[in-house]
Amino acid sequence: MNGETPAAILKSNLWTNNPIFIQILGICSTLAITNNLVNTLIMTLAVVFVTGLSNTTVSVLKSLIPRKVRMIVQTLIIAFYVILVDIVIRAFLPEISKALGPYVGLIITNCIIMGRAEAFAQLNPPIMALWDGLTSGAGYMAVLVVIAIIRELLGAGSLLGYQILGAGFTTWTIMVMPPSAFFLLGTLIWVAKTIMIRKEST
Amino acid sequence: MSKESLPYVIVFTFIVAFAFVFVIAFADGVTAERVAQNQKLVATRAFLNAVGYLEDEPSEELAKFAAEFGEVDDESIIRTKVGGRDILIKRFSGQALWGTVSGVIAVDESVSEIIGFEIISQNETPGLGGRIEESWFTQQFRGETIPPEGIIVAKGEGKPDYDTDNGSIDGITGASLTSARIEKIVNSEISQLRKETAR
Repeated sequence: MNGETPAAILKSNLWTNNPIFIQILGICSTLAITNNLVNTLIMTLAVVFVTGLSNTTVSVLKSLIPRKVRMIVQTLIIAFYVILVDIVIRAFLPEISKALGPYVGLIITNCIIMGRAEAFAQLNPPIMALWDGLTSGAGYMAVLVVIAIIRELLGAGSLLGYQILGAGFTTWTIMVMPPSAFFLLGTLIWVAKTIMIRKEST
Repeated sequence: MSKESLPYVIVFTFIVAFAFVFVIAFADGVTAERVAQNQKLVATRAFLNAVGYLEDEPSEELAKFAAEFGEVDDESIIRTKVGGRDILIKRFSGQALWGTVSGVIAVDESVSEIIGFEIISQNETPGLGGRIEESWFTQQFRGETIPPEGIIVAKGEGKPDYDTDNGSIDGITGASLTSARIEKIVNSEISQLRKETAR
Protein backbone atom coordinates (compact mmCIF):
# COMPACT_ATOMS: atom_id res chain seq x y z
CA MET A 1 0.00 0.00 0.00
CA ASN A 2 2.99 2.29 0.59
CA GLY A 3 3.68 5.02 -1.92
CA GLU A 4 0.22 5.23 -3.46
CA THR A 5 -0.76 8.55 -4.97
CA PRO A 6 -3.75 10.45 -3.57
CA ALA A 7 -5.54 10.09 -6.91
CA ALA A 8 -5.07 6.33 -6.88
CA ILE A 9 -6.41 6.13 -3.32
CA LEU A 10 -9.43 8.20 -4.31
CA LYS A 11 -10.23 6.00 -7.29
CA SER A 12 -9.72 2.84 -5.28
CA ASN A 13 -11.95 3.91 -2.38
CA LEU A 14 -14.72 5.38 -4.50
CA TRP A 15 -14.82 2.80 -7.25
CA THR A 16 -12.43 -0.15 -7.79
CA ASN A 17 -12.33 -1.09 -4.11
CA ASN A 18 -15.51 0.62 -2.85
CA PRO A 19 -16.19 -0.44 0.74
CA ILE A 20 -19.85 -1.24 0.08
CA PHE A 21 -20.14 -2.84 -3.31
CA ILE A 22 -16.73 -4.48 -3.57
CA GLN A 23 -15.76 -5.21 0.01
CA ILE A 24 -19.41 -5.56 1.15
CA LEU A 25 -18.68 -3.88 4.49
CA GLY A 26 -21.00 -1.72 6.58
CA ILE A 27 -24.14 -3.45 5.32
CA CYS A 28 -26.03 -3.23 8.64
CA SER A 29 -26.27 0.54 8.49
CA THR A 30 -26.92 0.46 4.75
CA LEU A 31 -30.11 -1.49 5.43
CA ALA A 32 -31.14 0.42 8.51
CA ILE A 33 -30.84 4.12 7.83
CA THR A 34 -31.31 4.58 4.10
CA ASN A 35 -35.09 5.03 4.13
CA ASN A 36 -34.71 8.75 4.65
CA LEU A 37 -32.20 10.99 2.88
CA VAL A 38 -31.60 13.49 5.71
CA ASN A 39 -30.73 10.74 8.19
CA THR A 40 -28.51 9.07 5.60
CA LEU A 41 -26.58 12.29 4.95
CA ILE A 42 -26.00 13.00 8.64
CA MET A 43 -25.06 9.40 9.36
CA THR A 44 -22.67 9.11 6.42
CA LEU A 45 -21.06 12.47 7.20
CA ALA A 46 -20.46 11.15 10.70
CA VAL A 47 -18.83 8.06 9.21
CA VAL A 48 -16.61 10.18 6.91
CA PHE A 49 -15.56 12.24 9.92
CA VAL A 50 -14.85 9.18 12.08
CA THR A 51 -12.93 7.22 9.42
CA GLY A 52 -10.85 10.28 8.56
CA LEU A 53 -9.90 11.21 12.11
CA SER A 54 -9.53 7.70 13.52
CA ASN A 55 -7.26 6.83 10.60
CA THR A 56 -5.17 9.95 11.27
CA THR A 57 -4.94 9.23 14.99
CA VAL A 58 -3.98 5.59 14.46
CA SER A 59 -1.33 6.72 11.99
CA VAL A 60 0.07 9.33 14.40
CA LEU A 61 0.24 6.84 17.26
CA LYS A 62 1.35 3.86 15.16
CA SER A 63 4.97 3.84 16.34
CA LEU A 64 3.86 3.99 20.00
CA ILE A 65 1.15 1.32 19.94
CA PRO A 66 2.33 -2.11 21.15
CA ARG A 67 1.35 -4.81 18.64
CA LYS A 68 -0.54 -6.99 21.07
CA VAL A 69 -2.99 -4.26 22.11
CA ARG A 70 -3.26 -2.52 18.75
CA MET A 71 -6.82 -3.68 18.02
CA ILE A 72 -8.01 -2.57 21.42
CA VAL A 73 -6.38 0.81 21.01
CA GLN A 74 -7.86 1.20 17.53
CA THR A 75 -11.31 0.37 18.86
CA LEU A 76 -10.82 2.90 21.63
CA ILE A 77 -9.85 5.61 19.16
CA ILE A 78 -12.83 4.83 16.91
CA ALA A 79 -15.21 4.73 19.88
CA PHE A 80 -13.82 8.05 21.05
CA TYR A 81 -14.69 9.84 17.81
CA VAL A 82 -18.09 8.15 17.53
CA ILE A 83 -19.08 9.19 21.04
CA LEU A 84 -17.95 12.74 20.31
CA VAL A 85 -20.17 12.77 17.21
CA ASP A 86 -23.05 11.37 19.26
CA ILE A 87 -22.63 14.06 21.92
CA VAL A 88 -22.53 16.85 19.32
CA ILE A 89 -25.62 15.55 17.48
CA ARG A 90 -27.54 15.13 20.73
CA ALA A 91 -26.72 18.66 21.84
CA PHE A 92 -27.13 20.54 18.56
CA LEU A 93 -29.33 18.41 16.31
CA PRO A 94 -31.82 16.79 18.73
CA GLU A 95 -34.34 15.96 15.98
CA ILE A 96 -31.76 14.03 13.97
CA SER A 97 -30.47 12.36 17.10
CA LYS A 98 -33.99 11.12 17.82
CA ALA A 99 -34.42 9.80 14.30
CA LEU A 100 -31.06 8.02 14.17
CA GLY A 101 -31.55 6.51 17.62
CA PRO A 102 -28.96 3.85 18.40
CA TYR A 103 -27.41 3.87 14.92
CA VAL A 104 -24.89 6.61 15.67
CA GLY A 105 -23.40 4.51 18.45
CA LEU A 106 -23.29 1.59 16.06
CA ILE A 107 -20.83 3.43 13.80
CA ILE A 108 -18.21 1.98 16.17
CA THR A 109 -18.95 -1.46 14.76
CA ASN A 110 -18.78 -0.32 11.14
CA CYS A 111 -16.16 -2.63 9.65
CA ILE A 112 -15.03 -0.03 7.12
CA ILE A 113 -13.46 2.09 9.87
CA MET A 114 -11.65 -0.76 11.59
CA GLY A 115 -10.67 -2.16 8.21
CA ARG A 116 -9.03 1.08 7.11
CA ALA A 117 -7.25 1.50 10.45
CA GLU A 118 -5.80 -2.01 10.18
CA ALA A 119 -5.08 -2.09 6.47
CA PHE A 120 -3.96 1.46 5.80
CA ALA A 121 -3.44 3.80 8.73
CA GLN A 122 -0.98 1.49 10.47
CA LEU A 123 1.39 1.52 7.49
CA ASN A 124 1.08 5.06 6.16
CA PRO A 125 1.84 8.64 7.25
CA PRO A 126 -0.96 10.72 8.88
CA ILE A 127 -1.86 12.91 5.90
CA MET A 128 -2.29 9.92 3.59
CA ALA A 129 -4.22 8.11 6.32
CA LEU A 130 -6.57 11.09 6.65
CA TRP A 131 -7.11 11.14 2.89
CA ASP A 132 -7.70 7.39 2.79
CA GLY A 133 -10.20 7.64 5.66
CA LEU A 134 -12.10 10.52 4.09
CA THR A 135 -12.31 8.86 0.68
CA SER A 136 -13.33 5.49 2.15
CA GLY A 137 -16.09 7.29 4.01
CA ALA A 138 -17.03 9.06 0.80
CA GLY A 139 -17.25 5.74 -1.03
CA TYR A 140 -19.65 4.53 1.64
CA MET A 141 -21.58 7.79 1.50
CA ALA A 142 -21.99 7.74 -2.28
CA VAL A 143 -23.61 4.30 -2.32
CA LEU A 144 -25.88 5.00 0.66
CA VAL A 145 -27.05 8.31 -0.75
CA VAL A 146 -28.05 6.66 -4.05
CA ILE A 147 -30.02 4.00 -2.16
CA ALA A 148 -31.59 6.61 0.12
CA ILE A 149 -32.72 8.78 -2.80
CA ILE A 150 -34.51 5.84 -4.42
CA ARG A 151 -36.02 4.64 -1.14
CA GLU A 152 -37.27 8.00 0.06
CA LEU A 153 -38.63 8.97 -3.35
CA LEU A 154 -40.60 5.77 -3.84
CA GLY A 155 -41.33 5.06 -0.17
CA ALA A 156 -42.56 8.50 0.85
CA GLY A 157 -42.77 10.44 -2.42
CA SER A 158 -40.38 13.03 -1.01
CA LEU A 159 -36.72 14.03 -0.98
CA LEU A 160 -35.07 15.62 2.08
CA GLY A 161 -38.58 15.82 3.50
CA TYR A 162 -40.00 17.91 0.61
CA GLN A 163 -42.90 16.31 -1.21
CA ILE A 164 -41.82 15.66 -4.80
CA LEU A 165 -44.37 13.23 -6.15
CA GLY A 166 -47.99 14.36 -6.15
CA ALA A 167 -50.65 13.45 -3.62
CA GLY A 168 -52.01 10.82 -6.02
CA PHE A 169 -48.81 8.80 -5.75
CA THR A 170 -49.25 5.57 -3.83
CA THR A 171 -46.15 5.12 -1.71
CA TRP A 172 -44.31 1.81 -1.81
CA THR A 173 -44.35 0.53 1.75
CA ILE A 174 -41.67 -2.02 0.86
CA MET A 175 -39.25 0.85 0.17
CA VAL A 176 -39.25 2.01 3.79
CA MET A 177 -38.70 -1.53 5.04
CA PRO A 178 -35.22 -3.10 5.24
CA PRO A 179 -35.72 -5.70 2.44
CA SER A 180 -35.84 -2.97 -0.22
CA ALA A 181 -32.30 -1.94 0.73
CA PHE A 182 -31.23 -5.54 0.03
CA PHE A 183 -32.81 -5.46 -3.42
CA LEU A 184 -31.40 -2.04 -4.25
CA LEU A 185 -27.94 -2.87 -2.96
CA GLY A 186 -27.93 -6.10 -4.95
CA THR A 187 -28.98 -4.20 -8.06
CA LEU A 188 -26.29 -1.56 -7.51
CA ILE A 189 -23.59 -4.19 -7.05
CA TRP A 190 -24.79 -5.85 -10.23
CA VAL A 191 -24.68 -2.59 -12.21
CA ALA A 192 -21.28 -1.58 -10.82
CA LYS A 193 -19.77 -5.01 -11.50
CA THR A 194 -21.17 -5.09 -15.03
CA ILE A 195 -19.58 -1.73 -15.80
CA MET A 196 -16.27 -2.84 -14.30
CA ILE A 197 -16.17 -6.10 -16.23
CA ARG A 198 -17.03 -4.30 -19.46
CA LYS A 199 -14.21 -1.83 -18.89
CA GLU A 200 -11.76 -4.63 -18.18
CA SER A 201 -12.61 -6.54 -21.32
CA THR A 202 -12.16 -3.55 -23.60
CA MET B 1 11.86 0.13 27.58
CA SER B 2 10.75 -2.27 24.87
CA LYS B 3 7.45 -1.44 23.18
CA GLU B 4 6.23 -5.01 23.72
CA SER B 5 7.18 -5.29 27.39
CA LEU B 6 4.39 -5.71 29.91
CA PRO B 7 4.98 -2.45 31.86
CA TYR B 8 5.01 -0.44 28.62
CA VAL B 9 1.75 -2.04 27.41
CA ILE B 10 0.03 -1.35 30.71
CA VAL B 11 1.25 2.23 31.01
CA PHE B 12 0.54 3.01 27.37
CA THR B 13 -2.98 1.56 27.48
CA PHE B 14 -3.70 3.40 30.69
CA ILE B 15 -2.54 6.77 29.35
CA VAL B 16 -4.40 6.40 26.05
CA ALA B 17 -7.63 5.32 27.78
CA PHE B 18 -7.33 8.11 30.33
CA ALA B 19 -6.70 10.82 27.73
CA PHE B 20 -9.61 9.84 25.47
CA VAL B 21 -12.08 9.28 28.29
CA PHE B 22 -11.09 12.60 29.80
CA VAL B 23 -11.94 14.47 26.58
CA ILE B 24 -15.27 12.66 26.29
CA ALA B 25 -16.19 13.36 29.89
CA PHE B 26 -15.35 17.01 29.29
CA ALA B 27 -17.46 17.22 26.10
CA ASP B 28 -20.34 15.49 27.87
CA GLY B 29 -20.13 17.87 30.80
CA VAL B 30 -20.11 20.92 28.56
CA THR B 31 -23.18 19.83 26.60
CA ALA B 32 -25.15 18.21 29.45
CA GLU B 33 -27.24 21.29 30.15
CA ARG B 34 -28.05 21.77 26.50
CA VAL B 35 -29.13 18.15 26.12
CA ALA B 36 -31.37 18.40 29.19
CA GLN B 37 -32.84 21.61 27.80
CA ASN B 38 -33.52 19.88 24.47
CA GLN B 39 -35.35 17.06 26.20
CA LYS B 40 -37.40 19.46 28.24
CA LEU B 41 -38.27 21.39 25.12
CA VAL B 42 -39.54 18.26 23.37
CA ALA B 43 -41.91 17.56 26.28
CA THR B 44 -42.93 21.21 26.45
CA ARG B 45 -43.78 21.30 22.76
CA ALA B 46 -45.83 18.14 23.08
CA PHE B 47 -47.92 19.69 25.88
CA LEU B 48 -48.45 22.96 24.03
CA ASN B 49 -49.19 21.18 20.76
CA ALA B 50 -51.71 18.91 22.44
CA VAL B 51 -53.80 21.87 23.53
CA GLY B 52 -53.30 23.63 20.21
CA TYR B 53 -50.95 26.50 20.78
CA LEU B 54 -47.39 26.87 19.79
CA GLU B 55 -44.93 29.70 20.20
CA ASP B 56 -42.11 30.55 17.85
CA GLU B 57 -39.32 30.99 20.37
CA PRO B 58 -38.15 28.15 22.61
CA SER B 59 -37.88 30.56 25.55
CA GLU B 60 -41.50 31.69 25.05
CA GLU B 61 -42.58 28.07 24.88
CA LEU B 62 -40.91 27.27 28.17
CA ALA B 63 -42.47 30.33 29.82
CA LYS B 64 -45.94 29.52 28.51
CA PHE B 65 -45.60 25.92 29.57
CA ALA B 66 -44.53 26.88 33.09
CA ALA B 67 -47.44 29.33 33.33
CA GLU B 68 -50.05 26.83 32.09
CA PHE B 69 -48.92 23.54 33.55
CA GLY B 70 -46.25 24.30 36.13
CA GLU B 71 -43.66 21.62 36.63
CA VAL B 72 -44.66 18.32 35.10
CA ASP B 73 -42.35 15.45 35.84
CA ASP B 74 -44.69 12.53 36.36
CA GLU B 75 -47.87 11.16 34.83
CA SER B 76 -50.32 12.92 37.10
CA ILE B 77 -53.48 14.40 35.63
CA ILE B 78 -53.44 18.17 35.30
CA ARG B 79 -56.61 20.25 35.14
CA THR B 80 -56.30 23.51 33.34
CA LYS B 81 -58.31 25.98 31.27
CA VAL B 82 -57.55 26.51 27.63
CA GLY B 83 -59.56 29.05 25.66
CA GLY B 84 -62.20 29.16 28.40
CA ARG B 85 -62.60 25.41 28.34
CA ASP B 86 -61.75 23.06 31.21
CA ILE B 87 -59.46 20.30 30.09
CA LEU B 88 -57.56 17.39 31.53
CA ILE B 89 -54.06 16.82 30.29
CA LYS B 90 -51.75 13.98 31.17
CA ARG B 91 -48.39 12.62 30.23
CA PHE B 92 -48.47 8.91 29.40
CA SER B 93 -46.18 6.05 28.57
CA GLY B 94 -46.84 2.54 27.41
CA GLN B 95 -45.33 -0.42 25.64
CA ALA B 96 -45.52 -0.37 21.87
CA LEU B 97 -43.90 -2.87 19.53
CA TRP B 98 -40.18 -2.23 20.14
CA GLY B 99 -40.09 -0.08 23.23
CA THR B 100 -41.77 2.46 25.39
CA VAL B 101 -43.82 5.19 23.77
CA SER B 102 -44.38 8.32 25.79
CA GLY B 103 -46.50 11.32 24.97
CA VAL B 104 -49.24 13.67 26.05
CA ILE B 105 -53.00 13.33 25.82
CA ALA B 106 -55.52 16.09 26.45
CA VAL B 107 -59.28 15.50 26.81
CA ASP B 108 -62.27 17.64 27.72
CA GLU B 109 -63.67 17.75 31.22
CA SER B 110 -66.17 14.95 30.71
CA VAL B 111 -63.70 12.73 28.81
CA SER B 112 -66.00 12.64 25.79
CA GLU B 113 -63.63 14.24 23.32
CA ILE B 114 -59.89 14.09 22.70
CA ILE B 115 -58.45 17.57 22.48
CA GLY B 116 -54.96 16.64 21.51
CA PHE B 117 -52.48 13.80 21.29
CA GLU B 118 -48.73 14.13 20.86
CA ILE B 119 -45.78 11.76 21.01
CA ILE B 120 -42.70 12.73 23.04
CA SER B 121 -40.51 9.72 22.44
CA GLN B 122 -40.76 6.38 20.70
CA ASN B 123 -38.52 3.63 19.37
CA GLU B 124 -40.70 2.16 16.64
CA THR B 125 -39.39 1.15 13.21
CA PRO B 126 -38.16 4.30 11.43
CA GLY B 127 -40.43 5.04 8.48
CA LEU B 128 -43.14 2.62 9.62
CA GLY B 129 -44.27 2.55 13.24
CA GLY B 130 -42.03 5.55 13.78
CA ARG B 131 -44.55 7.61 11.81
CA ILE B 132 -46.85 7.74 14.87
CA GLU B 133 -45.09 10.97 15.80
CA GLU B 134 -45.85 12.64 12.46
CA SER B 135 -48.54 15.28 12.54
CA TRP B 136 -50.85 13.62 9.97
CA PHE B 137 -51.18 10.76 12.46
CA THR B 138 -51.49 12.71 15.71
CA GLN B 139 -53.85 15.29 14.12
CA GLN B 140 -56.40 12.54 13.58
CA PHE B 141 -57.02 12.44 17.33
CA ARG B 142 -57.83 16.14 17.50
CA GLY B 143 -61.53 16.68 18.34
CA GLU B 144 -62.29 12.96 18.07
CA THR B 145 -65.42 11.96 19.99
CA ILE B 146 -64.69 9.15 22.41
CA PRO B 147 -67.26 6.34 22.18
CA PRO B 148 -68.09 4.52 25.46
CA GLU B 149 -65.97 1.51 24.45
CA GLY B 150 -62.98 3.65 23.52
CA ILE B 151 -61.46 4.73 20.23
CA ILE B 152 -60.43 2.44 17.41
CA VAL B 153 -57.17 2.62 15.47
CA ALA B 154 -58.29 0.95 12.27
CA LYS B 155 -56.13 -1.06 9.86
CA GLY B 156 -54.25 1.38 7.69
CA GLU B 157 -56.28 2.64 4.72
CA GLY B 158 -53.40 4.68 3.40
CA LYS B 159 -55.05 8.00 4.19
CA PRO B 160 -55.82 9.79 7.46
CA ASP B 161 -59.31 9.66 8.94
CA TYR B 162 -60.21 13.20 10.00
CA ASP B 163 -63.90 12.37 10.67
CA THR B 164 -64.19 13.38 14.33
CA ASP B 165 -67.52 11.66 15.01
CA ASN B 166 -66.74 8.04 14.23
CA GLY B 167 -64.43 7.40 17.17
CA SER B 168 -61.97 5.85 14.76
CA ILE B 169 -58.62 6.93 13.40
CA ASP B 170 -56.58 5.39 10.61
CA GLY B 171 -53.61 3.29 11.62
CA ILE B 172 -50.32 3.05 9.75
CA THR B 173 -50.04 0.74 6.76
CA GLY B 174 -47.22 -1.69 7.36
CA ALA B 175 -47.22 -1.02 11.10
CA SER B 176 -50.34 -2.85 12.29
CA LEU B 177 -48.75 -3.91 15.56
CA THR B 178 -47.61 -0.42 16.52
CA SER B 179 -51.05 0.92 15.55
CA ALA B 180 -52.76 -1.71 17.71
CA ARG B 181 -50.55 -0.85 20.69
CA ILE B 182 -51.34 2.84 20.30
CA GLU B 183 -55.04 1.99 20.42
CA LYS B 184 -54.45 0.04 23.62
CA ILE B 185 -52.37 2.81 25.22
CA VAL B 186 -54.88 5.54 24.34
CA ASN B 187 -57.82 3.53 25.64
CA SER B 188 -56.06 2.71 28.87
CA GLU B 189 -55.36 6.42 29.35
CA ILE B 190 -59.00 7.22 28.61
CA SER B 191 -60.21 4.77 31.23
CA GLN B 192 -57.79 6.24 33.78
CA LEU B 193 -59.01 9.75 32.99
CA ARG B 194 -62.63 8.55 33.30
CA LYS B 195 -61.93 7.07 36.71
CA GLU B 196 -60.39 10.33 37.77
CA THR B 197 -63.40 12.40 36.68
CA ALA B 198 -65.91 9.93 38.17
CA ARG B 199 -64.45 10.52 41.60
